[in-house]
Parts: sequence; structure tokens; C-alpha cells
Amino acid sequence: MAAERRASVTWNGDLMSGAGTIDEVGSGAFGPLDVSWPARAEEASGGKTSPEELIAAAHASCFAMALSHGLAQAGNPPERLNTSAAVTFVPGTGITKIELAVRGIVPGLDEDAFRAAAEDARQNCPVSQALGAVPEITLDAALAS
Amino acid sequence: MAWQGSLSRGTGTATATSSGSFELPIDLPSRIADQPDKTSPEELLAAAHAGCYSTSLAGEIARADGTVERLDVTCTITLDEVEGQGHRIVSSELEVRARADGIDAAGLEQVARIADEGCTFSALIRASASVSVRAVLESS
Repeated sequence: MAAERRASVTWNGDLMSGAGTIDEVGSGAFGPLDVSWPARAEEASGGKTSPEELIAAAHASCFAMALSHGLAQAGNPPERLNTSAAVTFVPGTGITKIELAVRGIVPGLDEDAFRAAAEDARQNCPVSQALGAVPEITLDAALAS
Repeated sequence: MAWQGSLSRGTGTATATSSGSFELPIDLPSRIADQPDKTSPEELLAAAHAGCYSTSLAGEIARADGTVERLDVTCTITLDEVEGQGHRIVSSELEVRARADGIDAAGLEQVARIADEGCTFSALIRASASVSVRAVLESS
């Protein structure tokens, strides 16, 4: 079964001084969100989101779901997973790196088995597959102490 | 992103820690069934692609000596089951309505293609899925 997901953006003006808004998404879960070029390319985003931050949210959530599924299928459903994705964007070059991290509370599972499950999720979640052309996708996985 | 519980019954929250711009509920049914008010990784990617392409097109229209008044960009991302591979993102479709001075329909078609080539996200996702762009000029 195919699932379609939709988002709409309005952009006003030129690239450097103009600005955009993610007006609406199919689910209605968010929007409007402001986006701009400085929010993408400069150190401080000024409270505005960017395509890279949305990609980070997509990747962190996809990775969490894949890992949750893998752990549960192996008989060790997680109590809690905290995941993050840091996307590095170099203007003129593109996305050069994504750093995934996870801290998990998984009853009955040791560190090595958790790392192996996390590595499997890193490689196989649909967003990792879609972003397979990113030069470097790293993983830092550990059980929460 | 914090996730609690199993995949099918658990829920998560995605937080934009770099900008503080959003905090969103996410769960599995929101990915594969239509679920109001909950987002999904694919919806976030659709927002990312629409945002990336808008900035790219705004830049290309200016480079072609046009002036952007307004761009409306909608992106639709499709997740499907691919035999032997499980769920995969198979396509991203961009639809553009542009209001701009100093550019005609043929010119827009050309810069829409160049903007697709220049959009980081288009380049990335094209390695594993199809990307299409349809651009229409609206009279201002």
C-alpha cells in the first residue's frame, strides 16, 4: 500500500532577502513554520526552521521507529528511545554528514546487542535508504545509564 | 526525538532542537494510514523538499533576471512497499505555481529544471527515488 505525504511552501521575494513559510502539511500537525536562507546557512537559525532541520527530524523519527520495531521483533521491546540526528549543510556543496545518536532503555538487553540493533536500523530505515547518497551517516548508540 | 513503547502502539515526539521551531507528535499509523494531527518522517521530508526547492528556484529566477513575487510549492512524497526491500520512499513530486516578472513560461520551465538540479534534496533523493517537477506561471 502506498502512502502519500504532502507539504506546501510559499516563498516571497528573492533568495537572500526573501523568506518562506511552510503553510500546511497533509496531516495538519504543523504549520505555518517560517523558513529562510539564513536559517539554513548561518550558525544561528533565529528560531526559523530549514530543510536540513526537517530532514533531521524525519531521520531521527524514522530511525527511532525502525529500531523500536527491530528490538520488539527480537523479543526486547524498548521502554524508551531518545534519538537525534544532526545534519551538516555546506552551502554550495550540500548535505555532507548526518550524525545519528540514540540512548535507549531496553529491559533485558546488553550493550552489544543494542548497538547491533541500532546499526541495523541505521542502515535500513526508509529515510536512511532515501538519503543513501549522503557521504557520511554516523551512529552513536548506547543504553541509557 | 523521544520514542516510547513498541512500533505499532508506541508514540514519539520530534523536537527541532537547533531552532526550537517545532515539537511534533509522530507515530506509525501516521506513516501508513491517514492520521490527522500527527506527522510522519515522510511528511517532514515533503516539507524539507518543498522548502529546499523553493529557495533553489527563488535563486535561479533571480539569476535569470526575473523578479519573484510569490512561489507556491507543494511536494508529495510516496512511501511504498517494494518487494524484498520493505517500505521505501519511491517518489517525490514537486508542483510549482510561480508569480514572477521578467520571465515567460518557457523561461520558467528552464529555470525550474535548473533549480531541481541545484536543490540539495532533489540530488540526494534522486539516487534512490524518482523526482518530478511541474511548474506553472501565474499572471500577477
